[in-house]
Amino acid sequence: MSKIAIISQPDQGVLIDVGGCASMQEAVSHLSSTLQVSSQFWKGVNVALNLGDLELTSTQVAHILALAKGVGVYPYQVFAQQPLTRGALLEHGVILGDGKPMTLPAMTIKVPENPQEDEWVDESVNIDEESTVTVFYEPSENQLITEDVPSDGPEAQVDFAPKAETSPPSTSSPKSEKTEKNSKSAKAKEKVEGSVHAGVMYLRQTLRSGQSVSHQGHLVIIGDVNPGAEVVADGDITVWGALRGIARAGVGGNNDAEIRALRLQPIQIRIGESFARSPDKNRLHYDNHHGPETARVVDGKIKVFKFNPQF
Amino acid sequence: MSGRVIVITSGKGGVGKTTASANIGVALANTGASVCLVDMDIGLRNLDILMGLENRVVYNLVDVVEERCKLRQALVKDKRMPNLNLLPAAQTRDKTAVDADQMKKLCEELKSMFDFVLIDSPAGIESGFQNAIAGAEEAIVITTPEMSAVRDADRIIGLLEARKDEITQYRLVLNRLRPKMVANADMMGVDDVLEILSIKLLGVVPEDEDIIISTNKGEPVSGTDNTRSGLAFRNIARRLRGEEVPFMDLEAKNDTWVTKIVNFFNPVRV
Repeated sequence: MSKIAIISQPDQGVLIDVGGCASMQEAVSHLSSTLQVSSQFWKGVNVALNLGDLELTSTQVAHILALAKGVGVYPYQVFAQQPLTRGALLEHGVILGDGKPMTLPAMTIKVPENPQEDEWVDESVNIDEESTVTVFYEPSENQLITEDVPSDGPEAQVDFAPKAETSPPSTSSPKSEKTEKNSKSAKAKEKVEGSVHAGVMYLRQTLRSGQSVSHQGHLVIIGDVNPGAEVVADGDITVWGALRGIARAGVGGNNDAEIRALRLQPIQIRIGESFARSPDKNRLHYDNHHGPETARVVDGKIKVFKFNPQF
Repeated sequence: MSGRVIVITSGKGGVGKTTASANIGVALANTGASVCLVDMDIGLRNLDILMGLENRVVYNLVDVVEERCKLRQALVKDKRMPNLNLLPAAQTRDKTAVDADQMKKLCEELKSMFDFVLIDSPAGIESGFQNAIAGAEEAIVITTPEMSAVRDADRIIGLLEARKDEITQYRLVLNRLRPKMVANADMMGVDDVLEILSIKLLGVVPEDEDIIISTNKGEPVSGTDNTRSGLAFRNIARRLRGEEVPFMDLEAKNDTWVTKIVNFFNPVRV
């Protein structure tokens, strides 16, 4: 069990699990680093806390609650096993969680295993190169379309220019123009039919080596995912930045999941039951990239395409 | 089969434990032995990068210990040599993820599968180091010819000596030696280091730019010919297998006639 886990589910909010910690000190240090690293993330989120088997006194519980309060987190329920801790929590008016807290989704990655003892060496290779591995950065199959974006004429430019230059302060006409435009954009918005997916986790943070995020639903990261970091989701993974670590989308068998990034330079990606790894040469330079790309499963193999917003 | 479990350790960080582990592993595998490299630097894993196997890691040591997978599933076979395997460390965990008893059990299991089990220890003398030496029967102490590294190596040897019942043999590898600096008396020589540590010498590895190139490529130098450091690691592997290999002459290039005469009487050895 890891020392700290953040698990989020569409209907239950987010669970911070420090049940794996052996002591109060450990729990506090993990908790404070987690809460502070991504404080924006916690705004308006239902947070539950799992203290596991930790035995905490009333003062220690108060300490933990104060820590959470510092970044605006008020756990709506707290899970605890030890009677002492439960008593202390009740003292502070915290609602105790019933039953078991939510757990991480089970990850099933098929790894060949050979029952025959004498042939095991071949089977110890955990990636079946011939059948499932696609090496990245063979030329993308989609050609990048380089047409000019059609412009709406001079009118459209007004919006982007500084206000002082284009709109005199005391005229009524720009106002009406503006309202007209607003209604236009509102109409355009109505047309958009997005897939309404409640479970999107939005993380504004660069994930560094050793950090990992797991989410049941789609995962959006505004920042980089560095080598050694790991992002896991049972929906899509979108990285507005460089994806250089490990990404597993469609955990639980969703082969339609996609992984996309501004710079897709991962060590490994897995989508559903498919697997792909980077070429065998260690990467020294990260500056040559192919622009925004999407990885998806085609005929059981992961393929990388130039990002093309036509679905 | 009952193989030998050898821990590679140093105390100080950055002296070349992981580089030595990778190179000795490759050199041993080149002699025909079956080898398993175990990365014990949980949370700061590097050995997979040096071996160029980072992109093949699926499961790791902690997954094995916590029984999320079988040992054989976690072993990554080297892409060049089928008799060389890597058991990678976990990157998203820390040193407390395993304990000494679990390591002993793991080493017992690995010992029955391989001729050599090389454990790459983390820096320091805390729990990570204690776990790394828990299942070991031999140790290779790495140091560089610097005061601080030698001091830390001495501390490590003291800790190893305290476990004489389990760790029966420990030998020294002097890494990153610059013969020219030694000749100019600007660096501790082999004899100076041995004088302090009074420990059996397993090998001397000269400072070599090829190491940096090979590290970045993910291809240990001992697998390729024509490098001085690669030869030094191959000699170490042969000595580990019980061969008597003479220490090779490590004379600096562009010597003046004075240093040549000095070196003639006081040769620096590999």
